[in-house]
Amino acid sequence: MTQRIRSKIARGSGELAILSLLVEQPLYGFEIAKQIGERTGGALKFTLASLYPLLYDMEKHGWVEGRWQANSAGRDRRYYRLTPGGRRQLAPLRAEWRSFFQALDSLAGVSHA
Amino acid sequence: MPDWKKLVREHIASSALPAASREEVVSELAAHLEEAYEASLLQGLTEKSAVEFTLQEVDDWHALAARIQRARSEENPMNNRTRSLWLPAMANLLAAMSALMVMQKMGEQPRLVWVNTAGGQFAMAFYLPWLMTLPLFGAAGAYIARRTQGDTLACLAAGLSPGLTLIGLIALIAPWGLFIDGLSVYRLVMIAAGIFTWGVLPSIALLLGALPFLREPSNLACSET
Repeated sequence: MTQRIRSKIARGSGELAILSLLVEQPLYGFEIAKQIGERTGGALKFTLASLYPLLYDMEKHGWVEGRWQANSAGRDRRYYRLTPGGRRQLAPLRAEWRSFFQALDSLAGVSHA
Repeated sequence: MPDWKKLVREHIASSALPAASREEVVSELAAHLEEAYEASLLQGLTEKSAVEFTLQEVDDWHALAARIQRARSEENPMNNRTRSLWLPAMANLLAAMSALMVMQKMGEQPRLVWVNTAGGQFAMAFYLPWLMTLPLFGAAGAYIARRTQGDTLACLAAGLSPGLTLIGLIALIAPWGLFIDGLSVYRLVMIAAGIFTWGVLPSIALLLGALPFLREPSNLACSET
């Protein structure tokens, strides 16, 4: 697998993970990374270096919107919320990934591995 | 504890981001590092190990700065709020007011309804043809706001912008009139009639047109346009 394909998969899965989290509630960067790590049992891990370029890209596409506000501890954090465009993006992304895994499963039986 | 802002600022200094954008990125990344550091301390790491562990969040600052610059510098100069609220609202306002002006130039006369009050008589002016066109403007404003990914409130505001602006103008001017001419029931009724004629009625007409576009898109299966 070339680096390019691997990077595209990582990017696509990252977008889906972030959109799926933000559909529930607005979160700031550290919380996004933390929740993705916790909820995938550490299988998906975001570092600062992988998270923010992706968030900024998604913001540029109008899928998420960042806004500064104080968190529960009173510290200013940039909260990201899903835009209507991001909400519309979620279903096609989910469908894409479902077919991707189905295809991989029929080829390599990964779901039974 | 390290000065995370200083550290981030030094590392992304080479990026050609505009100063305001760079400072925002610095604040956001520094806040992330600060929380990562505190989380490491809570897990029982020593301060030195926590710093080392936190710094592993970025293995190549140069590459990160470049990726951030790429993501942010190609940013559409218009932010979402401008695109999905202010522009459709302004366009709608301009179009609705231009339509009124054109109708007046073409000799369209308002329908006058005389109102008698204890203090005297005044006329309420209704431009019926203009009022009848307003649902179209309301629909156009809300539609543009929806197409540019505005939420329901943005669509509503963009759709009603001509009516809301007129109400705002009357609300601004009326107190001065009362201050200069003095407070009286006659003038208060006249102001209320003005708000009804130029604010409420147009807003209702605009709302009729905007209504179909106020619903949040629920069909998640539709693709991004």
